[in-house]
Amino acid sequence: MTRIGVFTTDSHLVIQVWDVALAQLTGITEENALGQGVTALLPDLEQRGLLKRFQRSLNEGVVEVLAPAFHHYLIPCAPVTSTKHFDKMQQRVTIAPLRDDDSIAGLIVTVEDVTDRHERERELATPMLEALSDEDWRVRREAVQEISQRAAPEAIAALLNSVVENHHNPSLLNSALQVLAAASELDTFLPLVELLHGPNPDLRMQAALALGEQRDTRAVEVLVKALNDDDANVRYHVIEALGKLKAVEAVDALAEIAESRDFFLSFVALDALAKIGDPRIAPRIVPLLDDELLCEPAINLLGQIGDEGVVAPLTALLNTPTAPTDAIAGALATLSDRYEQQYGEARYIGDLTSREISPSGVQNLLDALEAPGKENLRSIALVLGWLKSPVVARALTRLMGRVDLRDEIIEALARHGSTTVELLTSQLTAEDLEVRRSAVVALGRIGDPSAAPAVVNILSDESLVIDAANALAQMGDPSAVDGLLNLIGSDDASIRQAAVSALNSLIPPSMFGRIIPLLHDSDPNVRESAVKIAGYFGYPEAASALVELSRDLNERVRCAAIEHLPYVEDERALDVLVHAIKAEAPNVRAAAARALGTMDAPEVVQPLIEGLSDDDAWVRYFSARALGRRRSPGAVEALGRVIENEKFNHIRIAALDSLGQIGGERIAGIVARLVRDDDPNVAHAAQLALGKSGQGG
Amino acid sequence: MSRSHDLALPEGTTGLIRNLINERTGMFFDNGKSDLLIDKLSPLVIERGFTSYLDYYYLLKYDTAAKGEWQDVMNALSVQETYFWREIDQIKALVQTLLPQWHTRNRDSTVRIWSAACASGEEPLTIAMALNEAGWFERVPIEIHASDASSKALARAEAGVYRERAFRNLPAPLRDRYFERHGSDWRVNNNLHSRIKWGMANLIDEGQVAPLASADFIFCRNVFIYFSESAIGRVVRSFSRYIRPPGYLFVGAAESLLRMTTDFDLSEIDDAFVYVKRERAA
Repeated sequence: MTRIGVFTTDSHLVIQVWDVALAQLTGITEENALGQGVTALLPDLEQRGLLKRFQRSLNEGVVEVLAPAFHHYLIPCAPVTSTKHFDKMQQRVTIAPLRDDDSIAGLIVTVEDVTDRHERERELATPMLEALSDEDWRVRREAVQEISQRAAPEAIAALLNSVVENHHNPSLLNSALQVLAAASELDTFLPLVELLHGPNPDLRMQAALALGEQRDTRAVEVLVKALNDDDANVRYHVIEALGKLKAVEAVDALAEIAESRDFFLSFVALDALAKIGDPRIAPRIVPLLDDELLCEPAINLLGQIGDEGVVAPLTALLNTPTAPTDAIAGALATLSDRYEQQYGEARYIGDLTSREISPSGVQNLLDALEAPGKENLRSIALVLGWLKSPVVARALTRLMGRVDLRDEIIEALARHGSTTVELLTSQLTAEDLEVRRSAVVALGRIGDPSAAPAVVNILSDESLVIDAANALAQMGDPSAVDGLLNLIGSDDASIRQAAVSALNSLIPPSMFGRIIPLLHDSDPNVRESAVKIAGYFGYPEAASALVELSRDLNERVRCAAIEHLPYVEDERALDVLVHAIKAEAPNVRAAAARALGTMDAPEVVQPLIEGLSDDDAWVRYFSARALGRRRSPGAVEALGRVIENEKFNHIRIAALDSLGQIGGERIAGIVARLVRDDDPNVAHAAQLALGKSGQGG
Repeated sequence: MSRSHDLALPEGTTGLIRNLINERTGMFFDNGKSDLLIDKLSPLVIERGFTSYLDYYYLLKYDTAAKGEWQDVMNALSVQETYFWREIDQIKALVQTLLPQWHTRNRDSTVRIWSAACASGEEPLTIAMALNEAGWFERVPIEIHASDASSKALARAEAGVYRERAFRNLPAPLRDRYFERHGSDWRVNNNLHSRIKWGMANLIDEGQVAPLASADFIFCRNVFIYFSESAIGRVVRSFSRYIRPPGYLFVGAAESLLRMTTDFDLSEIDDAFVYVKRERAA
């Protein structure tokens, strides 16, 4: 018999799925469970403190585990087999959010019957305690591992008593603290606080460490008080623990320790403040920049927690002759990355830096950039990129061959804008391919049309043609059209694609006269590219040609015509596509399936459902995807059959995705059991589909 | 700067592709290099007629009919930029020290050397040139095997035609002795080229490694820098299983096996670092 059952809820904790295994384990039938609120079905949920675990998973998206050693069960019911120690089935319960794209649509809860396992653990608990005091460290280690994994509550309780009473036994103490640190599901808080207030400094130190490891925020208050402990080693570990707990309440006390400039404690206090990450404390850290020993950790901390207010003091330090340039550049880069992530405003930090920096600060950065043997120059290149000067641009140009720095160098040069166009254009003929590549990409980023003729010239360079086409697209200079049209017949599909993309952004819609004749070119590559351009612009003048090209001798041309027909909005398109998905070669049938998915007509659904039974796997795959785009409830049954019978998992995944898109009450029942599929991709798709299923239909 | 801006890359797809490629080829593209991976695959996605990398991931992962696609992936990802006489100290150690020692112990045997990631052939040809310069082909029966996972690289190796850039480290007299100029290119002479047996092998596939790794000397240089640590461990373990004792393994100067537990000890021979298989206690 299956030992794991599953149920799901919607966002109001109303039960949506109650599977067969769960019905068998608990004796509660699907009929009695479905549509009930969790609290109606399990009335003592709130009283036992479990409702908040459900709510936390729902509100914060976290996975909650109810450990049997502590909670024993979620759904009260008799054990399946007889036991000596338990009158109720012992259950391990996992509560996980069901996610829609960006929200939580409900919960999925697994209930595992672990009664037998715990029965055996009870028998083992007593000898393990004895093993913890064994003289042989290997025996102790094994015992620690055993108890940590099993966490039988009786064993832990006995262990804590032993620690308090026998702290002079170092073997037992160390082993016990390891267990405490690992057994996060048990309430070890009060015993540890007792140890923290005890007379033995070693024990206090270990207790502080364990309280930090437990990640229990109740510990913050007692740890803050322990910052006044008489023993410096205890204080050190208390500071560390507060950092691990991210104790915002402790930042003032920690800042005071940092300000004391006692290296032993200030250093660890700065580290803890970095972990806590409270930006309010930054101004108090700034004065430490003039402390020789604490300067670097202070710089790093300011990079991590500071706001725009720390740019000036950091840059002032960078302007001094002995500035720790790497650390300051690293902090400014961290700060700008954070501003970019939070506000999309990396540029603001760049502007402030560039306003504050002096020529000697720039020189420090240039010297660091040229220093030999440096591996990580990203931060320095990034900061230099904020500074617009010809000297900086030339220095950056010298690094253009560095593949590892390419993004930063290109970004930096692009920020210089049109002033560097001449310098970059001169690099288009450099001997090093990577230098030429960086130059063409940077020119594209700058987008100055005056560089277009030089970039058109390198369209003949096989290694750079795609980057050049992309760059021309960004420059928007129609004079590049002829050069790009020369590429649409290339034998390389990537080059054709790059040229078509560039042309799509360069050609004025009025230039359709240049494209229509190419639909009849003798070269199939040219016809295929011309179809893609005509389809992109939706030229009505191209409709007849596209219908005709859907019967082209060349398969790729037929695929392109089929895929682009929906965009020219011609009434013949539907018939052509329906015919193609039934009668064409496999690749063209797959293209027809994709194209049908983009059409609104209700007549597309039936051919797509038939496509689910095609001989070719990729026709089935794209038919399944297309039905999702159509969101047709009439396809649910057929997609359900795909999930049951299809041998290829990617097609089952496509069907699951589509069922999620279609939504509705029926979906949950079809996909629920797949959340435990052996293939994680299938299980993930099933979870997504379940998450969405409550919202559609 | 992406080459792939027309292709959809749904969230999470890069990680899926990266892990699948690591599992099947050993190559690992960490977060900083994942854009590069996506760029390199974009021609294959386009060639296949797909518009999304996710579809391409499914092709590689699930479509049993798409085995040939993996060869295209290897071709797209393999790094073929190398040159003659690269990291020559190790080859000198082979020719001047290790081979004489080996010959003393194995008078009548054939020595077997395997270049395990030969790219376009510069490494095994360098080994052959060095052996020939020292007169070893006249004294000892020698087999040189060279393999690569990329069919494209191997085709170039078998053609034996090289551009000027491949000669940037090779002394000109050697170039003139072993190569003939053909326009702007150079073609290796047949005597040297025919001393090498060329073949394809994916290092992560033990079935393909086994027959080749039964060699006295294995050169596997400048390939582990692209591999994940677990893949390196897997490959080195398979070398260890099949290499002939005492068993010498040469890896690139930028590569080190010291942070891993292997059956090889690092040894300095002449000016070169060589890994020697640890002898098992009797």
